[in-house]
Amino acid sequence: MSKVVVITSGKGGVGKTTTSAAIASGLALRGHKTAVIDFDVGLRNLDLIMGCERRVVYDFVNVIQGDARLSQALIKDKQCENLYILPASQTRDKDALTEEGVEEVIDQLRQMDFEFIVCDSPAGIEHGAVMALTFADEAIITTNPEVSSVRDSDRIIGILQSKSRRAQNGEEPVVEHLLITRYSPRRVAEGEMLSYKDVQELLRIPLIGVIPESEAVLQASNQGMPAIHLKGSDVAEAYSDVVARFLEEGSREEALAKRPLRFVDYAKPGLIQRIFGGK
Amino acid sequence: MPQTRDLEFRNAAMDVTVAVLHHTEPPRLADAMHKMMGGMPDFFDGDATVLDLGELATIPEHIDWTGILSLFRRFCLRPVAVQNVPPALLEGVRQTNLAILPEGGLRNHPAPAPEPAAAPVQQQLPLTPPPSSGQPATTMIIDRPLRTGQQVYAKYGDIVLLCGSSSGAEIIADGCVHCYGPLRGRVLAGGAGNTNARIFTTNFGPEIVSIGGIYKTFEHGVPDSIAGKPVHVRLVTNESGQKLVIEPLRLN
Repeated sequence: MSKVVVITSGKGGVGKTTTSAAIASGLALRGHKTAVIDFDVGLRNLDLIMGCERRVVYDFVNVIQGDARLSQALIKDKQCENLYILPASQTRDKDALTEEGVEEVIDQLRQMDFEFIVCDSPAGIEHGAVMALTFADEAIITTNPEVSSVRDSDRIIGILQSKSRRAQNGEEPVVEHLLITRYSPRRVAEGEMLSYKDVQELLRIPLIGVIPESEAVLQASNQGMPAIHLKGSDVAEAYSDVVARFLEEGSREEALAKRPLRFVDYAKPGLIQRIFGGK
Repeated sequence: MPQTRDLEFRNAAMDVTVAVLHHTEPPRLADAMHKMMGGMPDFFDGDATVLDLGELATIPEHIDWTGILSLFRRFCLRPVAVQNVPPALLEGVRQTNLAILPEGGLRNHPAPAPEPAAAPVQQQLPLTPPPSSGQPATTMIIDRPLRTGQQVYAKYGDIVLLCGSSSGAEIIADGCVHCYGPLRGRVLAGGAGNTNARIFTTNFGPEIVSIGGIYKTFEHGVPDSIAGKPVHVRLVTNESGQKLVIEPLRLN
């Protein structure tokens, strides 16, 4: 049974594509057959982050319009055995995504026995973002610890609850996860940034993880390598934790109790070990 | 039934919105309406509107009717008539195509609104919607958090929010608003001019609260004594006018 997971945020630049790449890779690394779809038609960033931009021949829109078969457009990831990427088109705009077309592609992916179908949503709340979340079973709401990002996330949760297929058909609602990215414990301690507790209090959906702000992310994207592959970095470990919690059965509270948040406490310089010691 | 005449005239009464103008300069009115309606220019749904000129602060020499009418239309209000026109302005009104209502022409005429309070945070909304027309009150119950950009309106009834609301949400009830959880966003009770409506919450933190058109904003944040606490908002009328009273709510 495939699960469709949308990575969405409302606001741009919060780390949706980075998160999509990291989580899709993380799921694949744990042996789950995963496809990641770039819904940001017209911009096309996911292939760069995944390091497969030179292998794009056909794209999502080609498949929707019947110019190519899905199997021709899927690109096999070079680092993970079980991971495939469906890139966005750069030459079209988001209106090329029709609801029927997207549904058809997702159905085909289900038939190809993909366990997880990760949808990388574009920013905004317009057509492209709505298409990305329409077929979702679960949603990872990516939020930065600042008020405008929180408000936009709140808005997109509302849209998820009204426009997703599950909501429209009156089925079980989409499972929501809050992922806080670009978190700087130092700036939280200095009162410049909302704490993860503040964000959760404002959005009132279960927290799945906190990803620390890190220069390594930029490096990784420039190299076309999902951040989860950065061995030994705090970002990679935080993303691995998120994937582990995501796969955990049972409630989110249990998953968090079993695998507590890391990289959220700030120790004054001089006690650096306490941050990086993983405790 | 066979029609014997090509045209019939019948009498009917309708609900209209009365806009009591205190000023007539379109930019000033536009500002006020923008503030009141926030980001929601379609709050009114093409409602027929009567402009009331009986409470003008000063009688202007000239009124920019084109500007005023287009401003109202922009906010989805449809001016159909004017009432209480000062004699000096009658000539201008005659050129507008608006009907001029005789004195006392509207039944259920809302009581004249008191003067705006001096403090900028507590002002009188000049627009007083008509009283509700005796429809059965139904309570609207919302089981999920109300999110930014979402809007609920309980016509004739109360709203019960079981999971709170977020800032940027809008809650409008002709009756009371009851909220179990954080109450944020814009909260308007007594939407149809019902000044007895109240707002109750277990966790107070809205951007604006209003009862029967009297509103209060929290430009500098909600005071610590009530922020995040169980709170009860009501409208008190005394000799100095109407005032919103926000008090802690004792839960046991």
